[in-house]
Amino acid sequence: MDVAIVGLGMHPFGRTPSMTGLEQGAAAARAALADAGVDFKRMEFAYGGSQDGGNADSLVNLLGLTGLQFTNVANGCATGGSSLHGAYSAIKSGQYDIGLVVGFDKHERGAFNAKPADWGLDDWYGETGLMLTTQYFGMKIQRYMHDHGISRETLIRVAEKAFRNGSLTPTAWRQTALSWEEIENAPMVSEPLNKFMFCSPAEGGCALIVCRADIAHQFHPRPIYLKTAVVRSRNYGSFEVFSPSQPPEVAHSPTVTASQAAFELAGVGPEDIDVAQLQDTEVGAEIMHMAENGFCKHGDQEKWLAEGITEITGRLPVNTDGGCLANGEPVGASGLRQVHEICVQLRGEGGARQVADDPQVGYTHVYGAPGISGVNILAR
Amino acid sequence: MTAADLGNEGVLWTWTIQSFMPKTPYHTDETPETFKPYGVGYIELACGLKVESRLRENQADQLEIGMPMKLEIITVRKDDEGSDLLTFQFCAAEEQG
Repeated sequence: MDVAIVGLGMHPFGRTPSMTGLEQGAAAARAALADAGVDFKRMEFAYGGSQDGGNADSLVNLLGLTGLQFTNVANGCATGGSSLHGAYSAIKSGQYDIGLVVGFDKHERGAFNAKPADWGLDDWYGETGLMLTTQYFGMKIQRYMHDHGISRETLIRVAEKAFRNGSLTPTAWRQTALSWEEIENAPMVSEPLNKFMFCSPAEGGCALIVCRADIAHQFHPRPIYLKTAVVRSRNYGSFEVFSPSQPPEVAHSPTVTASQAAFELAGVGPEDIDVAQLQDTEVGAEIMHMAENGFCKHGDQEKWLAEGITEITGRLPVNTDGGCLANGEPVGASGLRQVHEICVQLRGEGGARQVADDPQVGYTHVYGAPGISGVNILAR
Repeated sequence: MTAADLGNEGVLWTWTIQSFMPKTPYHTDETPETFKPYGVGYIELACGLKVESRLRENQADQLEIGMPMKLEIITVRKDDEGSDLLTFQFCAAEEQG
């Protein structure tokens, strides 16, 4: 049984002081139900997740006590990807006809303060100042720039594109385009990455209605088909966040594993993708993920960015809604925002940021600690 | 499992600089006023193992991938009994001019 997405809902990312995380999740769910023209009573199952916003299954108190099966997902940055994978499997198995996928979050300002014990690490690692994801991102792109000849100009180009695309996206948190100089001269956070090169923890909610492909037209005139949903974890020797050491053996990142599996399962290749969302926790991540997902060779990003290939008007538009950089990262909702945006583009509802020439196939990629990656391939 | 001597020298594999004072669980005697940025990097040892470490150097022009590094011991803070709590860090093996 093929799987279709027939409802899209979002509570705008950013800051909503008047609403709890759960309320933002409920708002997104209601928007998705309305988009599909279906009542919550019809939902047979739900998968939901939030890192700091509360228990997703508490949403039943706001949406309706219908007795549905509700599974909470806690998978860090891959929470949305894992939730969608759960829903995909539920429909694919033939056991269910229609269900809800929802993610939301409400984080404090500033960098995440992860606890070493949650990651199997001793207290000294955090106490001495090594427990920061920002350091990892700085160090990974620093080495990558050295190995593959990526310049600082290319980092600036990615940030410039993100905020320009955000300025075209009504639900984005950052809707003001930034100049080259503003980005270049921003305060340094973690060499070589400065303030405008990192996304920030934020708030927001996102929801999708997922159903059997053969009933999809009952709910929406333009269903988007979820060709595959893949989540993979790391290999021994890959360079991941929160690693006190790395072995001499060097392995590729879990993104490569997930991407290759997704292309094989969907029966398409990187050249078939018309629009993509690649995890851009910071600008270096987007650059490295272009190659790790198979879209270009390592080092070719320098040329790709200079030629505008990943712009909305380019051959492979990447992060058309401004990505994490312009939307912030409410962890539980972020992976679903990526899928939401690809569905918007494939439906042709992107407005000022719509990719031209009727895109047919889209791709989403999320990466997170402690070395997990989720890839979805979607088609009209 | 057997003990292995990793030595106390290596080369800088990658680096960054922690420019703002981290939130907890960071725990030193510093205050936001006295906080000094510190380097963070991976040191590649002769056996190929890479060790993550604080770095004494804390400015971009002092750090370069491939530069020789050596181990040193530093004090993190005083514990409740007033004793020094120690940790390791790496610094440039050759004095910089």
